[in-house]
Amino acid sequence: MIRVFLQVEQLLQNQSDIGMILQTLFSLSFIIYLFYAQRIQAMSMLRQVEGTLRKVKEIRDEGRRISVETVKEVGKPEGDPSSDVDRFMEHFLIPPVSLDPAGIIGKLGQLLNVRENTFKAEVRAMAPEASDSEVSNLENLLEASLALNIYYKVIRHYYLLGKKTMNIYIIMQIHMILPMIVREIEAYSAALQAFKNGMPIGDGVGALVAAKMMHGHEWTEVAKEMVAAEVPYNGRTLIVTKAKGPGGSVGKPGDAVDKILNMRKGKDEVKAVIMVDAAGKLEGEPTGSIAEGIGAAIGGIGVEKYKIEEAVKAKGIPLYAIVIKQDITHVVAPMVEELYTACDTAVEVIKRMIEEKTEEGDTVLVAGIGNTVGVAQ
Amino acid sequence: MRRMAEAEAPQNPMMSLSWVTLAVVVVIGIFSLMSLWMGFQAYGSEHPEQSTYYIIIGTAGFAAIGYMFFRTKTITTKKQTVPNVDVDTILECPSCELKRVRDFKRGDYVYKDDEPCTRCEGTMLITGIHRRAEEKKSKRS
Repeated sequence: MIRVFLQVEQLLQNQSDIGMILQTLFSLSFIIYLFYAQRIQAMSMLRQVEGTLRKVKEIRDEGRRISVETVKEVGKPEGDPSSDVDRFMEHFLIPPVSLDPAGIIGKLGQLLNVRENTFKAEVRAMAPEASDSEVSNLENLLEASLALNIYYKVIRHYYLLGKKTMNIYIIMQIHMILPMIVREIEAYSAALQAFKNGMPIGDGVGALVAAKMMHGHEWTEVAKEMVAAEVPYNGRTLIVTKAKGPGGSVGKPGDAVDKILNMRKGKDEVKAVIMVDAAGKLEGEPTGSIAEGIGAAIGGIGVEKYKIEEAVKAKGIPLYAIVIKQDITHVVAPMVEELYTACDTAVEVIKRMIEEKTEEGDTVLVAGIGNTVGVAQ
Repeated sequence: MRRMAEAEAPQNPMMSLSWVTLAVVVVIGIFSLMSLWMGFQAYGSEHPEQSTYYIIIGTAGFAAIGYMFFRTKTITTKKQTVPNVDVDTILECPSCELKRVRDFKRGDYVYKDDEPCTRCEGTMLITGIHRRAEEKKSKRS
């Protein structure tokens, strides 16, 4: 290396014609780079964003195509549902004002209820022949397409704005988070197959654990799209609740927990609440690993979590959490084998937890959280 | 209402080599070729120490052109597809405990009473649905 450097130095000192030309070329490139380095970097980043945008557009278009096809296949509408699907894919929700945060959860909950009812009504109108489960699955499929459409439009916005202004800071905003966005988009693209066919997804591990515990026992509907069953276990009474399957739904676990806790009084009072849900794993952690903790194991915007926390606080009941870890790419994709087998382990963990933390004669509430697509009870 | 894809067509990003890029590639190519030729000439001449320098410049130029073409080809020709994975349905007979695994069919769900048991009179129950484990690909494939 040193030898090459010395040779180059020697050549540059040589005043031959070719040496002069090369030296001028090098000086010119250096000066150009000095002034245009940022622009070159911006162009290089734009090119990468452009590549991703093309990829996202293809996925978004495929999502739309699958949605239209499935609506036609399952719902058998009289006309072409394409325009309805396009309208659905442009749907939005305006969050309530947060300047005065008191009571914002109630407002948000109300908006989400209206959104859910609107979506359901739209899908029913689009697919008149679909069963309840199929309507739920179609709704989930269309929501995945809607999410893909939003991703595409946001990336396109930054790309076009960056190209228009050639401002490196605008381009950097999207370029820096591109790898994470791509992972999320890939996850949503995997969801298309799952929701189209009604397959259990990674997020459904909580619902599957609850289903494994309550299967064979009589169940009743305790809240909107939520079922519960009483299951005797080792001298205790378990009340197991989950979203009503097999259609794709997360139900209203907050309402279910609140109702069950208020329903049981005296010696039947619930002594502990155990929640099971999927949780994002950190890089390096194995898929399907199980962790135990304290608190409300539930994702989403926070409305249901708030209801559960309020309900257990009012009664002074301990709230335990069990999570089954998974990568973001597994959450809405067809359930992988590691997660399926982890559900059996989770059932054993819950049983051990019940034996350790409660006494014979106690009542324990077990809530399986997550989308129950492809999982009945 | 026009289709969304059609409505957005004018704003779709294009990924093709512009004439400016092509001109840059040609110029770099000519310089690189010249540099390589001079490198080989210098190797047999009175100043063999110059040959390393010219060859490095020539090779770097061709490497840059190659990288440019490679990148363009990858982005333009790679068709993005939505993944379609194989999914298994696990069936168990509650009476004789016969276990069977078959391909997933639309309409399958966990705890669905599915098909008659082939061993006894019972009905098989779907007890699990999961993605089929992929066979590990060899490094060569």
